[in-house]
Amino acid sequence: MNLILIPIFLPLATAAAVLLISERTKYLKEILSSAAALVTLLAAADIFLQLPDVQQLSLPWIGSGLGFTLRADTLSAFLLLAVSLFSAAISIYSFSMPDKGSSKWFFFNLLMTQAFAAGAALADSLLVMLFFWEGLLVFLYTFIVLSQDSPGARRTAKKAFLINGVTDLCLLVGITITGYIAGTMNMSEIARNKLTLDYGWSVFAYVLLLIGAVSKAGAMPFHTWIPDAATDSSSPFMAYIPAAIDKLLGIYFLARASVYLYQLNGAMSIVLMTLGAFTILAAVMMAFVQKDYKRLLSYHAVSQTGYMILGIGTLNPIGIAGGLFHMINHATYKSCLFMTAGSVERRTGTNDLSKLGGLFRLMPLTGIFFLIAAAAISGIAPFNGFFSKELVYRGALDSGHPLFFWAAELGSFLTLASFLKLGHSVYFGKLPENLKNTKEAPFSMLLPMAALAAICVLFGFGAHLPLERFIGPALDSIGVRHGALAGFEAGKLYFLSVIVILAAVINHMLGLAAGGGKASKASDHIHYAPVLKEAYAMAENRVFDIYELGMDKVVPVVAKAMFSVDRFFDWVIDTAPSSTAGFFSEASERFHNGSYPLYLALTLAGALVYILLAALNGGLK
Amino acid sequence: MDLPIKMLTTAVAVPVFGAFLIPFAGRVSSSARNAFAVLLGLFTFAAAASLLSPVLGRGAVDYVIAFPRGFDLILHADLLSVFMATVSSFVSAVILIYSLDYISHYENQTEYYTMVVLFLGSMMGLVFSANLLWMYVFWEMTGFASWRLVGFFRSDRDVAKANKTILVTVFGALCMLIGIIMIYANYGTLDLRALHGQAITFTAAVFILAGILSKSATLPFSTWLPDAGVAPSTVTSLLHAAVLVKIGVYAYARIFGVTFAAPEAFSTMVLYITGASALISAGAALVETDIKRIIAYSTISQLAFIFLGLASGNKTAFIGAILYILMHSVAKGGLFLCAGIIEQKTHTKDINRMGGLFRSMPFTGAAFGLCSLSIMGIPPFGGFFGKYLVFAGAAQNGSLGVLLMFLFGAMMTLLYLARLFYKVFLGEPAGHESPKEGSYTMVASVMALALISLALGAFIYYPASYASLLTATLGVNLQ
Repeated sequence: MNLILIPIFLPLATAAAVLLISERTKYLKEILSSAAALVTLLAAADIFLQLPDVQQLSLPWIGSGLGFTLRADTLSAFLLLAVSLFSAAISIYSFSMPDKGSSKWFFFNLLMTQAFAAGAALADSLLVMLFFWEGLLVFLYTFIVLSQDSPGARRTAKKAFLINGVTDLCLLVGITITGYIAGTMNMSEIARNKLTLDYGWSVFAYVLLLIGAVSKAGAMPFHTWIPDAATDSSSPFMAYIPAAIDKLLGIYFLARASVYLYQLNGAMSIVLMTLGAFTILAAVMMAFVQKDYKRLLSYHAVSQTGYMILGIGTLNPIGIAGGLFHMINHATYKSCLFMTAGSVERRTGTNDLSKLGGLFRLMPLTGIFFLIAAAAISGIAPFNGFFSKELVYRGALDSGHPLFFWAAELGSFLTLASFLKLGHSVYFGKLPENLKNTKEAPFSMLLPMAALAAICVLFGFGAHLPLERFIGPALDSIGVRHGALAGFEAGKLYFLSVIVILAAVINHMLGLAAGGGKASKASDHIHYAPVLKEAYAMAENRVFDIYELGMDKVVPVVAKAMFSVDRFFDWVIDTAPSSTAGFFSEASERFHNGSYPLYLALTLAGALVYILLAALNGGLK
Repeated sequence: MDLPIKMLTTAVAVPVFGAFLIPFAGRVSSSARNAFAVLLGLFTFAAAASLLSPVLGRGAVDYVIAFPRGFDLILHADLLSVFMATVSSFVSAVILIYSLDYISHYENQTEYYTMVVLFLGSMMGLVFSANLLWMYVFWEMTGFASWRLVGFFRSDRDVAKANKTILVTVFGALCMLIGIIMIYANYGTLDLRALHGQAITFTAAVFILAGILSKSATLPFSTWLPDAGVAPSTVTSLLHAAVLVKIGVYAYARIFGVTFAAPEAFSTMVLYITGASALISAGAALVETDIKRIIAYSTISQLAFIFLGLASGNKTAFIGAILYILMHSVAKGGLFLCAGIIEQKTHTKDINRMGGLFRSMPFTGAAFGLCSLSIMGIPPFGGFFGKYLVFAGAAQNGSLGVLLMFLFGAMMTLLYLARLFYKVFLGEPAGHESPKEGSYTMVASVMALALISLALGAFIYYPASYASLLTATLGVNLQ
């Protein structure tokens, strides 16, 4: 069996096996799926280590030109490694997590998601990628709907399904057009002769691919299911799919489409950077004022996507490297952060910031992991987030549009400010009376958090390692020529980041003073500022949520209009002919009343008409 | 007469003549009648499926009974007709098995079984006929059987809807007859084998199209199909999945796909008509609240995708359409049979009075969900491949307007099916006392169809290579 098939088929087979195991067995399902995840991780590592010897596979599938082709070039192998790592971490984390719904179905969904994500990462044919990519929809839905037995979970599952389903259809159409223009479905073949945005069809196709990619990554405006899922589903789900898998796949394909398949132009670069900057700012503004641990994190998961899109949108090697590096860094610390949220929820039973506080003394390890990951996401040196953000900043400056650079810096300021608020209100400050007996999280939860926090540190202090081992070769494999990526200089950018940190700290002090010392109210001075207050109120009422807007305003109107057209055709084929026929039969019925003189008159009149007609047509013969 | 020819003749003759023996079996006992009907269905499926290997091996199998003036009865088994016959008879056999429980609560069961088997038999006759006149004859026979089946219940409303069905489809069939006569006037023969690769005039094509659209419930003749939902669910399942609406697409594939080279303008017209049909019926599916009417509108909308594949004029799209017929038959059959279980257990068809049914009917719910996913075209279900290939063909065809219409149509498919599933199975329960799961045979039938939808996706290699071979050997004028 080809090595490349293991990451796809081993989780699939294990998922099938898990379904056969009774719900009542203790730890059997957990051990089985963790073992499968670890073996897959080893296989992924092996695939990566065998590079530059590229593993590939081609099987007949649906006819000529549509083979089942997989190809693990460096970017794919790197992505596969990341997918396997997070799957293993979540499997272990979920060992003793009670609030995840039925554990049988939880692990089934987890393993299926892993298998399909691995398939999407390894696919060389666009159709194979689409097959796995769109297949994730099923498990996204079942994951959310089975994570909680609540109406909210069911609604959010439908919302996530529909948003992703509709954008996946865009991706489908984009892929059909791309494949037709290029004359092949295999990405490695398309890349030899990149497509350009010189004519309408290719622009249309690229935009459709873009919609599919950024929607998967959870960028605005396709993000709105993520904050809902934060409250309506489990922490492992949040740590796995919106924080890790979706981001990895979305940004991976964005990089593939924007650099590998298409040769973009300046205008499209501006579009991408604008989308990125807008996502950074709008989402972080929302994150800043959240009052729920997981909901706050989920808005950051959206906001951070903006950095990756911005980085790739610069189209210069530094920016693209920054985007990809940020992708892996974000998955690491965001997954870790959601895990800390899960631990706190597990031990305290709540995620409401106003009910938490002072937990650092009682949950010191969770607290330390939180601090590391929060420092990383806020871009504080020397953690990993600092280095990837630095690359994105440099890329944005090099692109010649400094506006995007300033947007990214402003985003960092607000990110740090909101993590000061979050950390302060959960881990420091006053411990509420009812949480006096809180215990540290169990070992199975601490272990994956520790591993991810360690990566945050390792990829920070040793940022040259991932940049030289992973990001650099990945850029080579998609044909981006680049100079040295690693290297720290205490230049202007560094001092600016120190200023941003100081500004965020001052802002937090101001907020505390305004909020009467309560950390959970440290954002109120901005939340309830003039103008912003109204904007926030509208956002809370989902005025800007395209899904709610579409489902409430657009879809019913369109559907009603279509329905009335349908009723019109029904009238044409049913009511109209039957009433016409009825009219004539009633009319002729009136003449059949049995009166002899009437019949005689009708006969004579008919004869007269006949003679007249005959006479007009040349006379009687 | 060698074995394949025997199989070909029995696949048509056994259900057509067997149907008339069902009333006699009914005289013996009701279980003998039921067993006989199911056996007829299974036998027809076996006979049709047994033709797969001869047509794959040596091409066509023919059987001719000569009639004067070129009106010979020609039974012609090729890749397309055997495919269609196998799919229809398989779904029909599942529906017959499901009927054993479902219909046992009603009167007139003998008439029901007779008409179902006659329906199946005339479908077999239609697909295997290689003479347009005989196609027309069988076409009208299916119309007759559907008329009696839609009017299975005898209230005025049911009879009126049944009359609507027959009147609309017969109007279309008569238009088609005019088209057939025009072909006869042009070529002096109605033998499709002899007409292979000939040109067809635009007018004749439009007349035939009227017949096809009325049978396949496409705009502007679509609304009889949701109205036919008054019939028992097994009948609607039969109409939607196996027999009636597939007749139109089959005739389109047979006449314009593998026989005549249709004029360019004609194909373009079909694309726009069906695109509008996809959108309008999807909109109606979002408005309706009757579960069977929603699924019926979904059929109208999905048929448009099949027409998109057939009329796009390239091989990719044609393969897609063939796969779409297969996937849609299986999944739509499953959906209607699920609706049958729900209707029987909740005693309502109004989705606002359901909600939360998943808790008490998990298997029906799962089957419904799986079949919906296949219709939506979500991988790894079979429907994905049909949808993808049809879109790929449309992209190759290069008409942006058509592509966008169908893209929106596909998005709306997601919307109405997700809404339906949510409302029926997950939403807040609306004043029903948790109905029980359906009987064993019924649930097994729907589960079988749902799992087959999944298996068809997992083993797509086999149906796809069959469809490719079909397109490569029979397709006319495809790029």
